[in-house]
Amino acid sequence: MRRTYLGEFEEIVLLMVAILDGEAYGVTVSQEIEQHTGRQVTFGTVHNTLIRLEEKGFVNSLLGGATAERGGRRKRLFKVTALGSRALQDIQQLRNELWQLLPPNTLKLGGS
Amino acid sequence: MKTSQPANRPNPPRWAQRLLTWLHPAETLEEVEGDLDELYTYWHRRAGKTEATLRYVLNVVSVVPPFVRRRQRQEEYRHPSTLHPAMIRSYFKIAVRHLIKNRVYSFINIGGLALGIACCLLIAMYVYDELSYDRFNTNYDHIYRLVEKQKQPEGIFDVAATPGPLAGTIIKDFPEVERVTRVGRWSGLLSQERQSVESNQMLVVDPGFFSMFSYPLLSGNPKTVFRGPNEIIFSEAMAERFFGTNWRQKNILGQSVKLNNEQSLMVVGVAQNPPVQSHIEFDVLLPFKWLERNDEWSMKWNSNSYHTYVQLRPDPAGGPADPTAFAGKIRSQLKRYDSGNETPLLLQPLSDIYLYSKFAFETDHGRRSDIAYIRIFVTVGLIVLLIAVINFINLATARASQRAKEVGVRKSVGAQRVSLVMQFLGEALLMTGLAVLVSLVLAEVLLPLFNDLASKSLQIPYQLPVFWLTIATLIAVVSLLTGLYPAFFLSSFRPINVLKTGVAGHFSNVQAGRSFRKSLVVGQFVLSITLAISTIVIYRQLAYMQTTKLGFDKAQLLYVRLKGDLRGKALRLKSEVEPLPGVAHASVATSNMVDMNNSTTIEWEGQKPKDEFLITQMNVDADFVKTVGMSLVAGRNFSARITSDTASKLGTYLINETAAKRMGWTPASALGKRVKFWGTDGTIIGVVKDFHFRPLHVSIAPFIFRFRPKDFYFTLLVKTKPRLVTQTLTDIAKVYKKLDPDHPISYGFVDQDLDAQYRSEQRIGRIILCFSILTILVSCLGLFGLTAFTAEQRTKEIGVRKVLGASVASIVALLSKDFLKLVVIALLIASPIAWYAMNRWLESFVYKIDIQWWVFALAAVLAIGIALLTVSYQSIKAALMNPVSSLRSE
Repeated sequence: MRRTYLGEFEEIVLLMVAILDGEAYGVTVSQEIEQHTGRQVTFGTVHNTLIRLEEKGFVNSLLGGATAERGGRRKRLFKVTALGSRALQDIQQLRNELWQLLPPNTLKLGGS
Repeated sequence: MKTSQPANRPNPPRWAQRLLTWLHPAETLEEVEGDLDELYTYWHRRAGKTEATLRYVLNVVSVVPPFVRRRQRQEEYRHPSTLHPAMIRSYFKIAVRHLIKNRVYSFINIGGLALGIACCLLIAMYVYDELSYDRFNTNYDHIYRLVEKQKQPEGIFDVAATPGPLAGTIIKDFPEVERVTRVGRWSGLLSQERQSVESNQMLVVDPGFFSMFSYPLLSGNPKTVFRGPNEIIFSEAMAERFFGTNWRQKNILGQSVKLNNEQSLMVVGVAQNPPVQSHIEFDVLLPFKWLERNDEWSMKWNSNSYHTYVQLRPDPAGGPADPTAFAGKIRSQLKRYDSGNETPLLLQPLSDIYLYSKFAFETDHGRRSDIAYIRIFVTVGLIVLLIAVINFINLATARASQRAKEVGVRKSVGAQRVSLVMQFLGEALLMTGLAVLVSLVLAEVLLPLFNDLASKSLQIPYQLPVFWLTIATLIAVVSLLTGLYPAFFLSSFRPINVLKTGVAGHFSNVQAGRSFRKSLVVGQFVLSITLAISTIVIYRQLAYMQTTKLGFDKAQLLYVRLKGDLRGKALRLKSEVEPLPGVAHASVATSNMVDMNNSTTIEWEGQKPKDEFLITQMNVDADFVKTVGMSLVAGRNFSARITSDTASKLGTYLINETAAKRMGWTPASALGKRVKFWGTDGTIIGVVKDFHFRPLHVSIAPFIFRFRPKDFYFTLLVKTKPRLVTQTLTDIAKVYKKLDPDHPISYGFVDQDLDAQYRSEQRIGRIILCFSILTILVSCLGLFGLTAFTAEQRTKEIGVRKVLGASVASIVALLSKDFLKLVVIALLIASPIAWYAMNRWLESFVYKIDIQWWVFALAAVLAIGIALLTVSYQSIKAALMNPVSSLRSE
C-alpha cells in the first residue's frame, strides 16, 4: 500500500479529528490545538489542512449541525476514515519501533 | 443565555465579514463564515472585544486567496448518461408527442427541409456526374491536350487546334511523353454496294489513340490497327446501322467500304460505343495515315485543325508526372519548327477538357459542359437548403415557450445543460431523418423535371455506397445546422424563471430571440427576392435576344446544307428550287447566317502600315440580299448580268457599315474603293446595313461579301411563302434527291438555329426560375408558420381588442404589418445585390437590356403580394375568431 506522507501539523490535526470523535470541525479543532499545544494557529491553516487531509482520503466530511450561534450556518464535520486511522497507527508503530531501537543512555547523555 | 439572544451576541466587524463573503471561495463560504463567527464569540468571551476583533481580522485574512486552499468540487449525484436507454426513450417519446401535437409546424419543418434536401441531393448527383467525365480512362491523370494562345489583331484567343506535324515532333523531342495522338474531324458518306450511311461523327486519329484512351475494340487488334492508310473502324452503333443488328454474325472485319463513293477502306475493327461520360464522341474512326495521303494540308505547319493529345510518363513512384516542367519546355515548340510562329503552346489536363473548354473559332468540338452550371446549381441548391434550415430555427425558437416548462422541470430534477442540448439536437436529428426520407420520395418525383433542366438522364444511385455516405453527411450537417442554435437557446432557460412566472418568466429571452428571428426572415427574403429579380432580368434579356432586329429577316428562312458534288453545282439546285410554288426567293451562300466566323485579313486603299483587322467573309450570289432581306445603305447589289461582278481578276465586293467605318470611309465614300483580300483585288460596289452575324454577346464586326459563282457554295437559302412551308420542304427534298441521290438532305430553319445559340442562357434562365419559385415557396412556408404562431400567442390580445370594438381589418393589419415590414427591408437589401449580380451577367452581352426600375417594382409587388397572401390567411383566421371562445378559457 502506498504510504502517504503526513506532515507534522497534518498529523496533529488528524489526531485531533480522531480525538474529537465526530465533533470535529474547524472551531473545535483549532481550539483543541491551541489548548493542548499552546500554539497560536490561524484558522486558515486549520481549514487548509483539513481540506488537504480530505483530499488525501484520511478524513471525510459532512455538512450539518447548524446552530443559532453560527447564524444558522451549517458546520463541516470531519471523521477519520479507515485510511486515516491506519496512517495514524502506522506512525505510532513506527515511533514505537524507533524508540525501542534507541540505546538506553543516549537521551540521558544529550538531555538534561 | 448568550446563545439564545442573538441581539446580545457580539458581532465581528462588518467590513471584515463582507471581505470574507466577497473573497472566500463559494464552496466553503458557509462553513467558514459559521466557524469564524463561533470563534469570534469564543475569543470575545475569553479576551475581550479588541483582541477578538484583531484575531477575527487576522483569521479572515488567513482564509482569503492566496492563502486559502480551494475545496475540490465533488459530484454529489451521479447523473445518468444522456445515452442511457431510458433517457433516449424519454426524449424520443417527448419528440414524437411534440411532432404530433404541432402537426402544422412539423409539416412546415419537415416539408421545407425535405424540399431543400431533395434539391441538394439532385444537385449533388448532377455535380458528381459532371465531375466523373472522362474518368473511365485508365490514363486519366496522365493525359493532356495541347492548346494554343493565338495572338490575332482583335486580341488573344484560346485555340484548341494545333498543326498536323506537331504531334510527331513532340514524341521525338520529349522523352517524358509516352504517347501522342492527333484527333481531327471529318465527315462523309459511307457506302457498300447499295447500302449507304452518313456519319455524323467521323474522327481521324493516330494509332496511339487506342492505347492512350480507354476505348476498347470489340473486334480487331488495337496494337496493329491504323498502321496502314486505307483502314476504317466503326463504332458498335455505326456497325449496327451499316451492317444491321446481326453484324456480329457477318464477319465484317476485312470487308471493304467506300468513303464518299471514292476510296475503298477496309474495316479493321469495331470499337465499343464511347461512354456517355466521354468528351470524345465518334461513330467512325479513320487513320491519320489516310488523311496525310489525301490532304496535304494536314502535313503543314500552317494548318491548324487537329487536337493533339499527349500522355506523359508517370513519375518514378507511379503517380502522375508534374506537368509544369513539361509545360515550360513545350511552350515554344511551335517556334522551333515554324520560325516566326510566336504562338505559345499550353497544356490542358484531360480533367479540365469537359468543364473548362472555352475555345474560339469552333476549334473545340464534342460533348462539353461549363463549370458555370455547377457553380449556379450548387449556389442555388445551398440557398434553398439554407432557407429551409432558417425556417426550422425560426419555428423552433419561436415556439420555445412551449418547451420552457419542460426545460424548467428537467433542470429542476437534475438535468444538466449538456443533456438538454443533446436532447434538442436529437430532436433535430429526428426531424432531419424524417425530412431525408420525404426528400428521397421528392427527389424521385422531381427527377424528370430536374433531368430536363440539367439536360441529363440521371438516376438516383441507390446502389452506390457514396450515395448513402452523402445522405449520412447531409443528415449530420443539416441536423447540426438546424439544431445547434435552438438547442443552446432552449437549454439556457433558468428553471426558477420559467417555473415561477410561466411564459412571462423568459420574456426577455423571447424578446432577444425575436430580433434574431426577424433578421433570419429578412435573410430568407433577401435570397428569394434576389433570385426573383434575377429571373425577371434573365427572361427579359432572353426575350430581347429573340426579338431584337438582326439586320436581316430570319423568319421563314430555310437553309439546305450542300454536300459533296452539289457544292459545285449549287446554282443548278437553286435554279430548280426557285420556280417551286412555295418559294419566294432562293440564294446560295457559304453560310447559313448563324454564328459566322470565317474571317481573314484585308488590305485596302489608304491603309496605314501595321493597321490590320480581321474581316468576316462569305460567298453569295446576286439574290442573297433579297432572300435574307438585308437593305443597302449605299451603292448597288451584285448582279449576275454585270460580268465584272463575277470576274476572278478584279471582282466586286459588298461590305457592311462597320467595315466601311473601320477602313475610314462613310458608306457613300466607300463606293468604288479598291480592296485586296485573299489575293484578289476588287472594288466596293455597295454597303449593306449592319446586321448581326454572331451572337449578341459580341458587337458587330466588319463583313465582306463576294460573288464567285465558280467557287463552292455550302448552303442553299430559301425564303418560303407563309403557310406553304411543309409543302415547300417536300418539294425541295424531291429536287435535292434528284441532284444528289447519295446524301440524305439536311436542312434547318435559320430562326431556330439562331435561338439555339442562346441555349445556355435559356437553360440558366430556367434553372433560376425553378429555384426562385422554390425559394419563395420555402420562405413562405416559414412565414406561414411564424404568423400562425404569433396569431396563436396573441389570441387573448385579439379577443380583448375585438371586445373593445376593433374591426377585423384593423386586426389583420396589426398582425400582417410586422411581417410585411420585414419583406420590405429584404426588398431594400436584395435590390442592390440583384442589380449588381445582373449587371455582371449582362456584361457578357454587348447588346443587352437596361435594368429598369419596374423590374424591382415588379419583384416588390410579387414578394409583398405573396407574403401578404401567406400572412393574411392566418391573420384573417385569427381576426375572425369569436372573442368569447378565446377569452373564456382563463
